[in-house]
Amino acid sequence: MNTASLQHKRYSRLNINRLGLWLFILSESGIFAALLFTRFYLLGLERASDLNQTIGLIITSILLISSLTAYRAESAIAHEDRETFLRSILVTILLGAAFLIGVGIEWSQAFVHFPPSGLFGTVFFTMTGMHAFHVLTGLILLALLYSNGRREAYSVEDHWGPEAVVKYWHFVDVVWVFFYPALYLVS
Amino acid sequence: MKRDFFFAGLLWIVLTFAGITLVSQINLFPLSAAHEADIIDEAFLFLTLLGVPVFAFVLVGLIYSVIRFRQPGEMPEDGPPIRTSRPVTWAWLGITSALAVFIIFNPGLKGIRELTANREPDLVVQVEMRKWNWTFSYPQYGVAVVDAQELVLPVDRHIRFEVTSTDIIHSFWIPAFRMKVDAVPGQINILYATPTETGSFEDDINLRAQCAELCGTGHPRMRAGLRILESAEFEAWVAGQAAGSP
Amino acid sequence: MKSIFKGILGAIIGFVVGAGGLSLIRLATGLEPWKREPGIVIGYLFALTGWLLGVGVWDYWARGWFGLPVRKYEVTGWRRYFNFDPDHKVIGIQYLVTLVVMMLIAGLFAMVMRAELMNPGRDFLDPKEYNNIMSLHGMFMIMVAVTVISGAFGNYMVPLLIGAEDMAFPRLNALSYWLTPVVPILLLTSLAFQGWDSGWTGYAPLSVTNESGQIFYNLGFMTLGLSGILGAVNFLTTIIALRAPGMTWGRLPIFVWSIFSTAILSLLATNFVFVVLLLVLLDRIAGMGFFDAARGGNPILYQHLFWFYSHPAVYVMALPGFGAALEVIPHFSRKPLFAYRWAVAGFLGIVILSFTVWAHHMFTSGMSENPLPFMVTTELISIPTGFIFLAALGTIWLGRLWLKTPMLFGLAVIFNFLIGGITGIYLADVPVDLQLQDTFWVVAHFHYTIVSTQIFGLMTAIYYWFPKFTGRMYDERLGKLHFWWMFITFNTTFTPMFWLGIQGMNRRVAQYLPEFGDLNRWVSLSAFLMGASFLVFLYNLVYSWARGPQAESNPWKARTLEWQTSSPPPHENFPREPEVIGDPYDYGVPGSVHALIPVSGGSTDGDVVATSVALYPND
Ligand SMILES: [Cu+2]
Ligand SMILES: [Cu+2]
Repeated sequence: MNTASLQHKRYSRLNINRLGLWLFILSESGIFAALLFTRFYLLGLERASDLNQTIGLIITSILLISSLTAYRAESAIAHEDRETFLRSILVTILLGAAFLIGVGIEWSQAFVHFPPSGLFGTVFFTMTGMHAFHVLTGLILLALLYSNGRREAYSVEDHWGPEAVVKYWHFVDVVWVFFYPALYLVS
Repeated sequence: MKRDFFFAGLLWIVLTFAGITLVSQINLFPLSAAHEADIIDEAFLFLTLLGVPVFAFVLVGLIYSVIRFRQPGEMPEDGPPIRTSRPVTWAWLGITSALAVFIIFNPGLKGIRELTANREPDLVVQVEMRKWNWTFSYPQYGVAVVDAQELVLPVDRHIRFEVTSTDIIHSFWIPAFRMKVDAVPGQINILYATPTETGSFEDDINLRAQCAELCGTGHPRMRAGLRILESAEFEAWVAGQAAGSP
Repeated sequence: MKSIFKGILGAIIGFVVGAGGLSLIRLATGLEPWKREPGIVIGYLFALTGWLLGVGVWDYWARGWFGLPVRKYEVTGWRRYFNFDPDHKVIGIQYLVTLVVMMLIAGLFAMVMRAELMNPGRDFLDPKEYNNIMSLHGMFMIMVAVTVISGAFGNYMVPLLIGAEDMAFPRLNALSYWLTPVVPILLLTSLAFQGWDSGWTGYAPLSVTNESGQIFYNLGFMTLGLSGILGAVNFLTTIIALRAPGMTWGRLPIFVWSIFSTAILSLLATNFVFVVLLLVLLDRIAGMGFFDAARGGNPILYQHLFWFYSHPAVYVMALPGFGAALEVIPHFSRKPLFAYRWAVAGFLGIVILSFTVWAHHMFTSGMSENPLPFMVTTELISIPTGFIFLAALGTIWLGRLWLKTPMLFGLAVIFNFLIGGITGIYLADVPVDLQLQDTFWVVAHFHYTIVSTQIFGLMTAIYYWFPKFTGRMYDERLGKLHFWWMFITFNTTFTPMFWLGIQGMNRRVAQYLPEFGDLNRWVSLSAFLMGASFLVFLYNLVYSWARGPQAESNPWKARTLEWQTSSPPPHENFPREPEVIGDPYDYGVPGSVHALIPVSGGSTDGDVVATSVALYPND
């Protein structure tokens, strides 16, 4: 088992992991591309008029801010600053949870205005649902980071875990950057 | 090596010639009963004539090599180290591209243009498909035949079929017309055809309307006979239907 | 076996938790507690999670997330194949055996279909049962065709061919494998719920309105997709990052290029079919209306998303077969692969173009889009495909052909696909397609493309690499018998179907007009004979694997890397990392060497060159 010697000169284990993660993210974006296609194919530029724009704007801002705090966590652990790392992860989790609560409120109103049995409801619930599912996955991963971080599992040399989760979190945010205008703004 | 090219080339010419003779001798197509069917048959035949030399070329390459260059027994010596050949590769690219582009125009574009040339129907027939029945209506005559066993059409009139479905996807296909179009719920699909022969399903099985898209248990039996009548006979038939229906 | 027992336990617990949890929620919101389809779907989601955790994810991964030491199973011998094992060679064999068994089952379904089609009327299946069998045959074979060569030989051979020790993500690789046995089980379970009768295409709205068996197709296909995506990530990363020093892109064996191209297609396209299958489930279990025209939905949406995956999937099926054929042909022609760069360009050209052709399956659908661009791209895709023929013909021309079984199968890939390719041109032509769409012409055409590439390609790969992965030699006479038997009966089965198509027999029917009876009887009898040819294959495979004579490490005197190590290779593949210094197929080139492989133990570290030997140099 001389794994280390056969592994590549040009590609460290870290770079191999990064490559794999980017490929996975590329593949995953197909899900969201397909949903965006569905949205415009079925509805054109139509949109329900009774969307709660205030909530939409608030949750979008929350999610964008959470990307910043996640980034802060990643750079903190890269500089051996465990304190900031843990605090930033915690804030990111709270912001992500706040986003989900916002989506929940939006859903409870949407059930009344455009239920999932109608066409806009069908598209709206599916798109936000699929995205929220990814946010939820991200939250679970962030919680794992937090608990492992408290056990001092990450170091300057070895923090692939935080890096991967934070990259994934950015990806989920970027998806929302496309979904938000597609659902709330176009007309 | 020159001899190999010569004999393989000869074989190719012979096979191509034989293939083209064969294709033109046998009757490829079943009964054709519409102007459009002839356009499609012509396209099919044209593709076949183009396909024969292509098929023969690769076939000769394979068969000639296998027979001429096979080495019986134990592992042979290494062959000539030919890695590539500039003229061959570029000629290959040129010829295959030319063929591909050519068939886009003929029969592709040409056929589409001919099929869609006339958009002025003499008769409109509405086809409504559902599991597993047909309704044929003639809005110009105010006639609708529900749960039809038979589709009745006049000869020599340009017909526009307006095809739709009320449940799932079916497909409206008349083999003697060589055309089909899917019946999709929520949309009306159009097909134009001009019958050129009279006759009925009893005369030839290609005179039938057949569901061609998998639609569940009744799919294999989802068909209706087609009867193409002289114009006067059709008028009489349609008048009879109008009188018969309330 | 521990893996499997734990996995099953996990699946049962998962199902109870998922379905039970849903029932509790429904009860709390005042609904009747058990509704079949949502219960099954949610239950399955948890059951799949439980299965994966039990089978190996918990021990190999998840313990690490909770700060526990990761556990590895120390099993040896045949038991390794029933366990979660990250070794790419074990995984390759697991894929091979699982999918060959699936292929044989799918073949039995085909025999049942052909038996019913012996006569025009009803023999022993009613149309509903026939549709269920037809759907099962289709989906089983689709799974085999998208998975078997890349799963079995991609996994086993790619690391060897590029001089790596394993795949980039060995545990993930095992995970991709352990998702696959779930799929056939799901598909067969559908029979307990009246089956599903919408074929492997599962077109909506039929698939939204039929019996509950349908959801097993959706769940099974989605699971297969997940496995394929993980596999694609692994292949791409491995081929990009783990090539031995000197293994430049221009020296990559052509089979590796075919797997690389295939992986790009799987990676980018699979999630589109994942989504459309999910949308059907949502229509069914959540009362949504994606495909319900009455509520503004659109059935054509299904076809767009479905074919945006499923056309590239056709090349996921075809490219590894081409790769296997082109890999074998130079070795058995004792000549360099002709126009290597063009063949590679052919693969990559197909990858790019195959994302632009999907709507050629929808010329008769009345889609609002203009069919013209799709006709154009489809006919253009014949150009890169032609490069593969160029490479094959150029290699055998003037070669020294050694017609062993793998070579015969490799040549059959080229011959059969020629017919598949030419008959595809008719379907790409919009006017002709109006007649041929949904007839037996289509059935014959796609069997000539998919069986010819993937199944004949699989046979090419099995016979070629048999001595490598078993360490034993197959029986050459039985191999040749199998080849001629299968090759002839394949052609006599499927060529008449073209004629049936022209003459107006539509596909996917249990009963048909009596006028087509004679030819169908011929096709059925021929199909039974073709089915029987697999008995020869199976006997040869099983007997030779157990009892065949010991094989040399390089019985074909091939130059590529996998043959420069023992058969079967040791755990770490090569004693020391090989160094690639030349092209893989330079037969007859004086002094050409593909790679240097340091002999282990010959000297101390750092003294590599002194102990290097070029295994199998020319001259
Ligand atoms: Cu139908
Ligand atoms: Cu296609």
